Amino acid sequence: MKINAKDVASGVLLILIAATGLWLNGDHSLGSARRMGPGYMPMLVFWAQMALGTIVLALAFFNGPDPLEKWTGLDASMLIISVIVGTAVGLAAPYISSFFESSYGSLGIGMLAGFLVLAYAAGWRLLAFICAAMCAFCLLLEKGGLMLALAVTIGIACLAEPEHRSRPLGVLGITIFLLAMCWWIFIKQLDIRVAVWPLQY
Amino acid sequence: MLPRRAWLAGGAVFAALPAIACAQGKSWPAQPIRLIVPFAPGGTTDLAARLVSQGLGDRLGQPVVVENRPGAGATLGAAQVAQAAPDGLTLIVSNIASHGIAPSLYRDLRYDPLRDFTHIALLIETPSVFVANQRFPPGDLGEVVRLSQEQPRGLDIASSGSGSSNHLLIVQFGQMTGARVNHVPYRGAGPAMTDGIADVVPMMSDSLPSAAGHLQAGAVRGMAVATAARHPAFSAVPTFRDQGVDLVSSSWFGISGPAGLPPAVAERLNREISTVLAEPGTQRRFAELGGLVRPLSPATYAEFIAGEVARWAPIVQASGARAD
Amino acid sequence: MDILGNLAHGFSVALSFNNLLFALVGALIGTAIGVLPGIGPVATISLLLPITFGQPATTAIIMLAGIYYGAQYGGSTTAILLNLPGEISSVVTTLEGYKMARNGRAGAALATSALSSFFAGTVATIVVAGSGPLLTSVALSFGPADYFSLMLLGLIISAVLAQGSVIKSIGMVVFGVALGLVGTDVQTGQQRFTFGIPELSDGISFVALAMGMFGIAEIILNLEKPEARSVLKTEVGSLWLTREEFRRATPSTLRGTLVGTVLGILPGGGAALSSFGSYMMERKVSKNRHLFGSGAIEGVAGPEAANNAAAQTSFIPLLTLGIPANAVMALMVGALIIQGIQPGPRMVEAQPDLFWGLIASMWIGNVMLLIINLPMIGMWVKLLQVPYKFLYPAILVFCCIGAYSVNNNVFDVYSTVIFAVFGYMCNKLKLEPAPMLIGFVLGPMMEEHLRRAMLLSRGDVMVFIERPISASMLAIGAIALAAMLLPNLRKGKEAALSG
Repeated sequence: MKINAKDVASGVLLILIAATGLWLNGDHSLGSARRMGPGYMPMLVFWAQMALGTIVLALAFFNGPDPLEKWTGLDASMLIISVIVGTAVGLAAPYISSFFESSYGSLGIGMLAGFLVLAYAAGWRLLAFICAAMCAFCLLLEKGGLMLALAVTIGIACLAEPEHRSRPLGVLGITIFLLAMCWWIFIKQLDIRVAVWPLQY
Repeated sequence: MLPRRAWLAGGAVFAALPAIACAQGKSWPAQPIRLIVPFAPGGTTDLAARLVSQGLGDRLGQPVVVENRPGAGATLGAAQVAQAAPDGLTLIVSNIASHGIAPSLYRDLRYDPLRDFTHIALLIETPSVFVANQRFPPGDLGEVVRLSQEQPRGLDIASSGSGSSNHLLIVQFGQMTGARVNHVPYRGAGPAMTDGIADVVPMMSDSLPSAAGHLQAGAVRGMAVATAARHPAFSAVPTFRDQGVDLVSSSWFGISGPAGLPPAVAERLNREISTVLAEPGTQRRFAELGGLVRPLSPATYAEFIAGEVARWAPIVQASGARAD
Repeated sequence: MDILGNLAHGFSVALSFNNLLFALVGALIGTAIGVLPGIGPVATISLLLPITFGQPATTAIIMLAGIYYGAQYGGSTTAILLNLPGEISSVVTTLEGYKMARNGRAGAALATSALSSFFAGTVATIVVAGSGPLLTSVALSFGPADYFSLMLLGLIISAVLAQGSVIKSIGMVVFGVALGLVGTDVQTGQQRFTFGIPELSDGISFVALAMGMFGIAEIILNLEKPEARSVLKTEVGSLWLTREEFRRATPSTLRGTLVGTVLGILPGGGAALSSFGSYMMERKVSKNRHLFGSGAIEGVAGPEAANNAAAQTSFIPLLTLGIPANAVMALMVGALIIQGIQPGPRMVEAQPDLFWGLIASMWIGNVMLLIINLPMIGMWVKLLQVPYKFLYPAILVFCCIGAYSVNNNVFDVYSTVIFAVFGYMCNKLKLEPAPMLIGFVLGPMMEEHLRRAMLLSRGDVMVFIERPISASMLAIGAIALAAMLLPNLRKGKEAALSG
């Protein structure tokens, strides 16, 4: 077999994005060559991307083999489940609490839920915990203040590393150290405009 | 940031109540005041806000902290303040883009420039000006109009961007004189001025502060300034009215808060801002920025904004610019 | 002779105790914020602006300029150590610099970066002093058609950044251009691909894109490979350059300086092109081109020199025309206006202290940065010896705060998450992020110049061929494209025949 699975996937990805782009671009007028409309350049770009994706796909059948990493059944099913759970939580969030109505709160809680579900599958765990940690930061920052947001973020991020999972005291140490450092750098020195403690604004 | 009214209703926040109670009592301001500048740092608006915030903070006894919230033609910052609690601790630099033009430009604006704000004070106005490359033949606006009608596809005039007040002034000029104009938009006044000096585009519509240095240096020639009388610092540049075009236009910005601000707070802010504006230091710095200081009462400032919204609507319509 | 006299005057201004002190303060602050991901010079300068009101204009501008250069130096540090580029020029530095760090040559990479930047800064300062006004005419001779062809050339040669398949990386360049189109259309004001999200109307945040695809994706990939982290921990190697490395870096520095000096003069994109223009050149010209992609010192020396040279010469449009080339320059204009000085052609005569003092302080600033940074290399390399399990939470929270602070908006942090996932996916598919980022930066400029050129030529495409500058750019682009694709296609054909 000479099929390059990575290139097949790359080609398909480029083509799919280009096709979506061309479809979305239907909203924009093309204009004329003299006074180009908003849709002119995107049209050129997405057709070019489509062509390149096709070439990548065509060449992929000759320049392999380069297989993708193996997915377990759990990896695949958890990916689907996490997308469903994330979407459901995101859509339901505004009805549960007005907390999620502003600052993309419902997007954040949806993404957080999705990533946490995804973390159940070993293949996704690292990606999921790191991303979940960042989502938690966004959710908590404006209403919970920087310190709370950072503490939760560091907690979730540390779940990604097996050595931390068995040593909660070590994680506490890291958290306290980083909280102090971030306070000193960003609040004391740089004075960035953000709430520091819960319910400050 | 957050619709505070909404989450108050949700009952989530007893802790914030004392802050609001405080704000409405005599002791306002009990906490630092956030002044949202809906533009990126470094522009005229940002600089002016930072100048005023210092003096204002000294007078109020609480720091006034400038916070840049740029984006979407200044409407992001405005939408944020429109939703903030009217406790006098969140204010915005209201301006021609977010409060004058945006209501006509954006179909689904998330705020009403009048109903969602308590307007407090006007800071400065900066006149608009048409400048031309030194090699551009016409000597006055009449010749410009004639030249534009002779050219089959119109005369190129640059501006700092589509939907900006500089762009709309070109449209208005075309409407009033019958000049045939080919608008060439840029990303900001700097690149437009570069091409004006390089004679890529013969004419440009700009605001006086950003064109001032180039006018003084003779890099470009002032064709017409949109003030009622000639500008004292640029007495050689004729006004539009001098040349038979009744066009008076300037860019402006002031201070506003969310709707429902206690009148006492608005009055106090207006008084302190007027005092700060009257200080010689501020006067000098503002003059250097190219602006004219015009103190207005809260009510007159609101009327002024209402007039601006009404004025720009038909011009935006005619310009064909839209954002949705 | 006149220039020497003026420069001497400039040094007498810049070497006053107060000005030296503020140059040092600026360089220190700049280095510190440059190291923090996302916190750029624009935000810092605007925060410090009120402090400068009380200072004389020359002192103020010297300090702000110090912050600007300092941030450039600091940005390279995180790019080399942590694969975290803060701006487009450091994206290129990550390519070879981070690889060098992984090979245990972090000290050498940092030293190279500091030394070639210093050299380039020195040369560029002389150029600014000697021929600034003259070079202004170069900037003014570039019309929209020429800029379009320059950007197109930039995009074509950016495919050469690829470590793997050229076609795939051109695909990524094009996708980068597409991402760059998100936001408000400059010509009509219409929103494109924003899905009704107001934050997207100013386009996708570069910091979110770069941080997600490089920094955060890198954290996840590092955590996946415990063996890769142990390399990071153990082999640090000598801090200083070996004789061999020094010999290899020198010609690259010279070439990078030349590229950067020339491109920096062009407002609107010249500086962005400089570092990877130099990288492309090194990859084609250098004797060690086979080492590229695995940590070639030439790939650090050239781009770093080009970047710093361009940072200096980008002052030329500001000083001679009064037109800022980027956001930092716009802030400088603001600072000058507040001081009652109108930047413009008359500044050289009207404010000789300021003009020549600033030029002298450019060089002094570079010396200070060298003095600050060389001793710090040891400290930075120590940072890599911190076990990765302690390091990564710190990188993560710094990225979160950095992404938030750009616009004070959590939307940028969510974007970072999405691009981290995308960057992770690209890594698994061997799709390279660097060409995409360059497409993202150059694409919107290219569209703008294309449409403006067509608007001004009334729809006549001949304008791109009739103008000599534009025509020669297009010719170079065509040759470069052919040179890149031919071997690739031949290989593909051979594979097809033999397969």
